[in-house]
Amino acid sequence: MNSETLNTLDSYSKNKYKYGFVTEIDEEKPKKGLNEDIIKFISLKKNEPEWMLEWRLKAFSKWKKMKEPKWANLNFPEIDYQDIYYYSAPKGFDKKPKDLSEVDPKLIETYNKLGIPLEEQKVLAGVAVDVVFDSVSVATTYKGELEKLGIIFCSIGEAIQKHPEKIKKYLGSVIPAGDHSFSALNSAVFTDGSFVYIPEGVKCPMELSTYFRINAENTGQFERTLIIADKGSYVSYLEGCTAPKRDDNQLHAANVELIALEDAEIKYSTVQNWYPGDEDGKGGIYNFVTKRGLCAGKNSKISWTQVETGSAITWKYPSCILKGDNSIGEFYSVAITNNFQQADTGTKMTHIGKNTKSKIISKGISLGKSQNTYRGEVSFLRKADKARNYTQCDSLLVGNKCGAHTVPYIDSKNNTAVIEHEASTSKINEDQLYYCRQRGLSHEEAVSLIVNGFCKQVLQELPMEFAVEAQKLVSISLEGSVG
Amino acid sequence: MNIKDNYLKNRKNIFFSLNKDIQNHREKLINIFENDSFDRKNNESLKNINLKNFIDFNYKYLIPEETTVINNNQENNYSIVSVNGQCSSFKDDKIEITKISDEDYNDFSENNTIEKNDHFVNLNSLFLNSGFKIIIKKNNNIKIKISNIVTDDDLTIFQKNNIICEEGSSLNLIEEYENKNNATSNILNVIKLEKNSQLYHYLIQDNSPNFNLIITSHSSCKKNSTYNQKVYNFSEGYVRNFHYSELIETNSETNLQGIFFLKNNNTSNNKTFVKHLAEDCKSNQVYKGILNDRSKATYFSNTQVDQVAQKTEGYQLSKGILLSDNASYFSKPELKIYADDVKCNHGSTIGPIDENAIFYLRSRGMSKIAATKILISSFINEELSSIDNEQMSEIIQKKLVRYLSKVK
Repeated sequence: MNSETLNTLDSYSKNKYKYGFVTEIDEEKPKKGLNEDIIKFISLKKNEPEWMLEWRLKAFSKWKKMKEPKWANLNFPEIDYQDIYYYSAPKGFDKKPKDLSEVDPKLIETYNKLGIPLEEQKVLAGVAVDVVFDSVSVATTYKGELEKLGIIFCSIGEAIQKHPEKIKKYLGSVIPAGDHSFSALNSAVFTDGSFVYIPEGVKCPMELSTYFRINAENTGQFERTLIIADKGSYVSYLEGCTAPKRDDNQLHAANVELIALEDAEIKYSTVQNWYPGDEDGKGGIYNFVTKRGLCAGKNSKISWTQVETGSAITWKYPSCILKGDNSIGEFYSVAITNNFQQADTGTKMTHIGKNTKSKIISKGISLGKSQNTYRGEVSFLRKADKARNYTQCDSLLVGNKCGAHTVPYIDSKNNTAVIEHEASTSKINEDQLYYCRQRGLSHEEAVSLIVNGFCKQVLQELPMEFAVEAQKLVSISLEGSVG
Repeated sequence: MNIKDNYLKNRKNIFFSLNKDIQNHREKLINIFENDSFDRKNNESLKNINLKNFIDFNYKYLIPEETTVINNNQENNYSIVSVNGQCSSFKDDKIEITKISDEDYNDFSENNTIEKNDHFVNLNSLFLNSGFKIIIKKNNNIKIKISNIVTDDDLTIFQKNNIICEEGSSLNLIEEYENKNNATSNILNVIKLEKNSQLYHYLIQDNSPNFNLIITSHSSCKKNSTYNQKVYNFSEGYVRNFHYSELIETNSETNLQGIFFLKNNNTSNNKTFVKHLAEDCKSNQVYKGILNDRSKATYFSNTQVDQVAQKTEGYQLSKGILLSDNASYFSKPELKIYADDVKCNHGSTIGPIDENAIFYLRSRGMSKIAATKILISSFINEELSSIDNEQMSEIIQKKLVRYLSKVK
């Protein structure tokens, strides 16, 4: 255990969720509730063309007929969709600032508090950041340099204005609006998010990243991300999330669509640290996210990595549709639940093309009174000759009031495809604990060390900047629940 | 004919239909059928099945004419022939067999623990027309063989058996289902194991294509008891094996094992469900399937560990071999764990026969078919060699050879 982790543990024991602050900023919000008027309002605010509004309204009419999916092992009161603000923007955002100097200093300060100093990161890390604050994309750094390479990295609102042909072609092509009720909801009211297009043969030289934050009370955040990697290109994309501490539950229903054409590769990493609620399970974010990638071309690859530590409820299944021959899908996940958190997360790998491969590594850690479920589906369709899947999901239980569940669905319709699945559930190994204690670590340090080791296989998949942060997050999430 | 009409028309032939409580219960069940939308997505018991055949059926039942025989040819060795689900009563100082019709209705109504959402169990409760109860008395070591025979075509048998192993007893039970008729048998076994008792339960299923067999069993194990079940499904007709097991007292153990061999258009649905409700219990679920032609199979397995069930060991394994392009296999091995000091795992694989192994055998001069057959036999060898009953082992080997002869 290095001194850095100890220091972080120490500082967090006083203030466990450090991102729980609220930024006092003038917000512009229409009335609560969901109806056609609010959708028209959003569309108007975003200055969207007619076809986009029609698209939204179509999705809304589908949503009205749909019920929430019920398969998850989650318990929560019914969501009142009429008691949510669907749009919230810092005032004066009708016109987008051209560069950072025009952005409200208070906002910049917020992001500094969150640990993503735009200016600094711009220079030091070489990371291009798009920041989404409630419903509006605040600033996109490093735009110019990306433009030189032909890379488009902007908010989705901007993309609708500037690149309508791409949006028309790809938006909703991986996650149709009528897929399930949360995707329909998002399609109807999505406010902002990121759009990335990597042209043919370009390897994006830096990691692109987005930071999402819910600030205003009773606001839902519905962001929409669309990433297209053209033939032979590569991109690595990072996503981070936080929200202030509140007693109410807030809704977050995002849609993320990835499209990898021939020989392209997309790597998507998430560190999700929405406010998880307090020790008694009060408050916290309801996180209903649909993420899906389409390996459309031959030899394409999509890789999802996620570290899920926040949210009162996590409902998230980043999946891959392996359509192109020889395409590869990967899913690495660490999900930690504490107190009254509930997580039902996993993936879905659909093998359509020949020689497609997928790999799933999932690590679940339950503490306190939380429930942690892995739910994954692997299916081989008739034409998926020689397809291959390997799945490993391990769960660790700390304390006897929590639950760890594994629910895999395995479906094979091809007799040349091979699937392997293994899972195990256990508590922390007493021998390992004893060994660490013997060498002078406290009980808590020892547990933290062992858990970090347990997650290593996934954490090492994260890009450098995130790996350090994720390791700290893991330690913090364990705080106060052991011993 | 729909369920309600069927029930009203045949009510007087169905057991316990005069009892008020049971009547009320059955009316509720009819309501379930009338109001259910049969949503396949959320009901495991419906996957891969043409439910219409089982719901719109013509009820027909014949009370068997000849009294069935129970032979005590050797010491502690009994054989029972159950005709249309019934057998005559028998009693000695070691075992006691009674017709279910002579039983108290309380014995009948006691199946609260079984999943309510299962339409086949509900059908069984509605149309119950046969069954028996076996009690193995204290500290006896008994072997029983039951041959299940159906006499006529188009019969619909709804049978419920209670098996009780009293303290310290041990039972070796072989059940054979070999029917050539065009009939449907829906059987519910309720098994209770008292302290220190043991039950080895073998089920051999080998029916003709037009015979539908639906077996559901529910076992509960008390302290230090063991329930071992082995299912061998060679049937050409539809078979459903749903087996639930509860470990209710400490140090009990359950092993649910099954192998199915499918070909042609056949379908088989399998489920094992183990609930750990006490400390220091062990469970093991192993299912293996071989699928040829256009056959389809599903296997659901579920291990649930209650908060109090510390020191649990629970294992699951499911393996499937697809021999043809058109076969399909769906498996869902599920773990639900609420206790922390447990060792639970599951493994699941589906795939073709290993090509390298075939290559190895062929390079030693074997034909492709011979190599395939050897590899299939070795795939299930572990399960077959663990049968400690010689007679059983011979029967299974013969059936295996018959199945392999059709493999191309």
